[in-house]
Formats: sequence, C-alpha cells, structure tokens
Amino acid sequence: MRKVAIYGKGGIGKSTTTQNTVAALAEMGKKVMVVGCDPKADSTRLLLNGLAQKTVLDTLREEGEDVELEDIRMEGFGNCLCTESGGPEPGVGCAGRGIITSINLLEQLGAYHEDEQLDYVFYDVLGDVVCGGFAMPIREGKAQEIYIVCSGEMMAMYAANNICKGIRKFAEAGGVRLGGLICNSRKVDNESEMIEEFARRLGSQMVHFVPRDNDVQRAEIRKMTVIDWNPGCSQADEYRMLARSIDENDLFIIPDPLSIDELESLLLEFGVLEAAAA
Amino acid sequence: MISVLEQRAAQIHQNGRAPFAMDCEKHSVAGSVSQRACVFCGSRVVLYPVADALHLIHGPVGCAAYTWDIRGALSSGPQLHRMSFSTDLREKDVIYGGEPKLYQALVQLIDLYQPKAAFVYSTCIVGVIGDDVAAICRRVESEKGISVLPVHSEGFKGTKKDGYQAACAALFQLVGTGPIDEISPLSLNILGDFNIAGETWLIRNYYERMGIQVVATITGDGRVDDIRRSHGAALNVVQCSGSMTHLARLMEDKYGIPSLRVSYFGLEDMSRALYEVAEHFGDSRVQQRAEALVHDEVAALLPDLRRYKKVLSGKRAAIYTGGAFKAFSLVRSLRTLGMKTVLAGSQTGNREDYQLLRELCDEDTILVDDTNPLELAKFVQEKDVDLLIGGVKERPIAYKLGIGFCDHNHERKIGLAGFEGLRQFAREVHSTVMSPVWRLVPRRRRPSAAVEANEAAAVHFQPRCPGECSTCDLPHCDVPVGQEILP
Repeated sequence: MRKVAIYGKGGIGKSTTTQNTVAALAEMGKKVMVVGCDPKADSTRLLLNGLAQKTVLDTLREEGEDVELEDIRMEGFGNCLCTESGGPEPGVGCAGRGIITSINLLEQLGAYHEDEQLDYVFYDVLGDVVCGGFAMPIREGKAQEIYIVCSGEMMAMYAANNICKGIRKFAEAGGVRLGGLICNSRKVDNESEMIEEFARRLGSQMVHFVPRDNDVQRAEIRKMTVIDWNPGCSQADEYRMLARSIDENDLFIIPDPLSIDELESLLLEFGVLEAAAA
Repeated sequence: MISVLEQRAAQIHQNGRAPFAMDCEKHSVAGSVSQRACVFCGSRVVLYPVADALHLIHGPVGCAAYTWDIRGALSSGPQLHRMSFSTDLREKDVIYGGEPKLYQALVQLIDLYQPKAAFVYSTCIVGVIGDDVAAICRRVESEKGISVLPVHSEGFKGTKKDGYQAACAALFQLVGTGPIDEISPLSLNILGDFNIAGETWLIRNYYERMGIQVVATITGDGRVDDIRRSHGAALNVVQCSGSMTHLARLMEDKYGIPSLRVSYFGLEDMSRALYEVAEHFGDSRVQQRAEALVHDEVAALLPDLRRYKKVLSGKRAAIYTGGAFKAFSLVRSLRTLGMKTVLAGSQTGNREDYQLLRELCDEDTILVDDTNPLELAKFVQEKDVDLLIGGVKERPIAYKLGIGFCDHNHERKIGLAGFEGLRQFAREVHSTVMSPVWRLVPRRRRPSAAVEANEAAAVHFQPRCPGECSTCDLPHCDVPVGQEILP
C-alpha cells in the first residue's frame, strides 16, 4: 500500500487534482482510499457526487466512542473509499487536534488493515499547515510520499518551497519523501519550464503538467470528476497521465529548499522580468 | 557550599560572604524542579475563600481535582467555595471548542446553587484553543443577573504571581459595584489574609476592638457583596506581599484608597500592624485602644513564650515560603523563641524583599530564591537543621530526611496569625523540634552500644512529651529537656 499526501497553497486545486487522479487510478483498477484532512470536509465531493458524507469527527461527537468503520467511510467512484476528517466551524476549537484524533481513530478501526487490500491511501490536507495537527499525515508511519500541487504564480511557488522545508524536518525524523511537483497550470508565461527547473533545483521532478481546461469546472459543477463526467475528453487523459506518472514514480527524495533570493531569481529568469519590461 | 545548577548560582547567597545582589522575579530554570505552582493555581488559591461565589474551572477535570479543597480557609457562612466545579473538557471539546459546555455548566450551576457571583478560570488548553471565555461570561451575566467573572489564568503564560494578578483583576471587576453608605471614616479592608483556621476572624476582632470598621475581608471568609462595597473603606491593609498588592494598587489608582503593608505573624509584626493602622487614622482613642490591646495580649503571652524559649534556644530552622513577607515574620518569630534561622527563601520574593531578609538574618544564613527539592534537601542537611518550615511540597523533604516540619502554608489547620497564633506556633515548633522521635532517625544515630540499646527500646516507643511542657496531654519523658540521649 502506498500512502500519499497532497499538499499545496490554499486554492491551488489540491482537492480537484487529487480526486481526478484518484478517479484515474480507480479506472486503472487500483483500490484507493481518500482521507480528507480539511475541516471544510469537501475533499471527496467529486468522488461521491455530493457532500453526502458524515465526517469522522461529527460521528465521534454524536455517537461517542462506538464508531464503526462503515459509519464514516463511503464508497465513491470506481469503488474508491472516501472519508472526511471534518472539524469545527472556523474560529472555534482546534482543527489540528481534530486531524490527529481522526487519523488515530481510522487506524484503530482498521481502515488501513491488510484485509482492506488497498493499493493507495491519499491524504488531502488543508492548504495552510498552520499547526502540528496538519502535519499529522506526514508523521512517522503515515504518508511516505508527498506531491505538492503548485503553479507558476509566485505565491504558489513560495508555498511549495515552504512545504519542502516542512518535509525536510519530517523526513529526518520519519521517512517521508517528496515524490514531485504537480503543476496545475494558471497559464503563466513559461510555466512548465519554470516548474521543471524549480523541481530540479529542489532535487525532484515535475510529475505532470496539468493544463488549464474549463472541462474541469464543467465536471465540478456536476459534482463529478472529469473521468466520471466525460471519459473521452482530453482533460481526462491528462489526469490518466498524471495517475500513471505517480503509479510508475520511483524518484523519492528529501528536498533541498531554495533560499528566497534563489526563488526570486528563478522567477525573474523565467519571464516575469520580460513581462515587466514589456 | 553544596553544588547547584550553574544558572541558579545567582539565586543563592550565603549572608555576609559576597556582595549581595539576589537574582529573582524570573522564570524557573529548566531542569530545576521548582516548588512554584502554575498561573491557574495562583488564581485559584487567591480566590478560593470567596465563600458565596461559584468557582468553575474551565478545563480538563484534573486541573479542578488537584486544586480541590486544598486549603484550610474557613467560612462563617456559605461553603460553596469548597466545591470544585469543572467543565471536564475532553477530546471532542478541544476539537469543537469548549464554549457550549461552559455556557451549559454555568447556567446549570447558577440555577442549582444561586451564587452571588461566579468566577470562571481559564486553564492551559482553553488558552490554546482560544475559547472566548469573556463573551460566554457576559452572556450568562446578562441572562442570570449575577456577575460572571472570567479569570485569565492560563497555566502556561507565566508564574504563580501572574495568577495572583489575574485574580486581582477579576476581583477588581466587583469592587465599586455596591452601596457605600453607612461606612465609617474609621474603616478598612483586610487584604491578603485567607482565614486559614479562622485567622481573619482573629484579626478582624483586633481591629473591631480598636473601634475600626472592617468593610471587606479579601479574600478570607470573603463575601461578594462586601467586595462590591470595599471601595468605601478608608484604608487597605495588605498582608501577603505577593497576592494582593496588585488589587491594593488598582484600588488606590481608581478610588484613592491608601494601603499599608503588614504581617500578622509574630509579636513584633502583629503589634506593628495594629500600631501602624492606629497611627494612620491619627485618632487618639483608636491609638489608646491599640496600645491597651497589644499590652493585654502580650502580657498574657510572654510567660508561655519564655518557657518555650528556654527549651528551644539555639535550635536551628530553615524557612521556605511562597511570599517573602511571611519569611520576614518567621525569622522574627523564631528569634522570639531563641531559634536561629540558617536558611531562608521564597518562591516569589523581589529584590527589596531579599535585601530586607538579608538584613534580618544572621551572618552565614543561606538565602534562596525559587529553590528546588534537591537544593533544599542538601542545604538542610549541610546546615543540620532541627526544623523546616514550609508548605505541602516541602513536608516530604523534611520527613524523608528525618527533620521536624512545621506547616506554615495555607493547607494547615492551625491558626498561626495574631498573638494567639504565636502561642500556637510556639507550641507546634516545640512539640515538633523536641519530639524524641528525631533521636531515632538515621542522621542522628552514631554507632555505639547506646544506640543499639535505644533501638531496642524504640520497638516499644511511645510518644512522650520531652519535658516542661504543660500544654499537652502526653506522659512526660524521663530524659531531662535539652539533653541528648545519644553519646
């Protein structure tokens, strides 16, 4: 079983990319579980065709200790298994503690047990890793490989670089490795080349360049992944390629984060300067 | 001198040995197991004696359990303060926030107990998850029509002293909300006495005998309505330097009430407290009454003290207290009994306190700030003391080493304040220091036939009073007082 965590700047498209990739893996015949680690609990909406799910924490809150795996896990597209950690409303309580409690409970209930015959577990984590709780999925024994979703926009690259600093820390203590960057295109100049170079300097790779395509939105408004909605469209093939890259990936490294100066000079080198001059 | 942690060196002095500058009022050193408690505990113990208030601890149940009824503060009426209520925060409350539970707990408890006010203590986890305790308090206050006061006492945010400040800030919300008619110009508030074993009653009685009205006792035998009108008093008399100075300062700034710092322990300090209060009012009748009171009390006390002094002369004591003011009084009281203080220290003393303590103590006395069990144990052995005076955390140190112990903290059940308190203090010190049991502890043993004989006798040991004492019921010991049975 491969345990994968997806990180990236808030709003970059982690949940969308994760679910579309999971759909492609499921189509390939893989058995996948998705663990949403965002208090908003919207990490599995496309796979379940709606927010029909009761979260782990809400179940725990309402039903006490007697929780069954069936209460908190639903089957989604292509027989993938979906759970949502859930958490408090914004502004109250401690969402980070919620993630810790939720993942511990899933372990206790045997969600990761061999009998489940899982090929993959995907953790889709809230964009801003604001405290220790949100690093839970990459602590020892949890996710072993991380993919960072980013784009050629400056703030997305800053965030990716910061996440690499976090990975370094946990890599030394545990065994987590960076599997690569997924570029979710925002149509920035020279975007693909720049992210490839950025990944190279981190010591890693760009596993796939996902072009911007409105079919993603068209599928999303119907609460579906692209493959579910229109398996024949070109964007569906993009996600299939991404899924295959991840499935065949064998480059797992401890990233070497860039200094701010290096990161900014990279941005200048790849076109921001040209754009500014023009 | 024994070896101590390097970072602690500046908090330990031997009087007269080196230029004196005590390093104090700082956070405890990591690795040194400080005898101090946390911020929450500081607030809890200061507010605890307010007897008609509800005390609700917002946090995991352990915070409430380990501070439950730990003090001997008595009430002449309601006993609600002795209950310890907790919101019992658990995993899911931490995740989803403890506010709903706090609201429910407050409403239920207020309906059930009809308190005059409620104090809500914030513990560590509440500070971390950011419950809006003040907002819940305001809501319940408007719904239930009683004061609901948040105490910002998150345990991690400082020292016990910060807890005292948080408690004072909460009390100050009550001050100034009650009627002040029928308050005499000859009036005061007793601050910083906690009515341990009824001490506040004793002190109150002294002031009333002097013709002074006592408006509020804060917080010993405290009542919410008294605190509300305490701004009508003409003077704040503050005991316990650490806990209530802040409230006195707040009341001085807002209501212009002057304050006096006093101590009620020992002949000198107790007399001085009454004289200074009398002098403050400048009323000749009050002054005459104070003089007569001191005269009568001291005259009744001195013969007893002389008898104890005869036996206790030359015995050595170590003192470790919370606030430094108590340490001053103890040094003086022990001297009254002919005893030498060879170690003195406090958890929260400041630079001036230690300067004064230094002047009070003899040459070579060891002075310590924020000490730990290891240092205390080593010093009391090195100094070969007969008595350690401290609180609940010092007691096992003394007993493990086979040293007499006298509780001078708030857990005790014997009143030690006032003139009557000094008599009880002397009796307690006497019966502890002179107990024959210390002749049998390992550190007093010397290898000899006499010891073995004693050990054989010890099997049939019965407690006996060591001599001249006429106050106890024990059979008298046939060994003359002051004479060691060991060679």
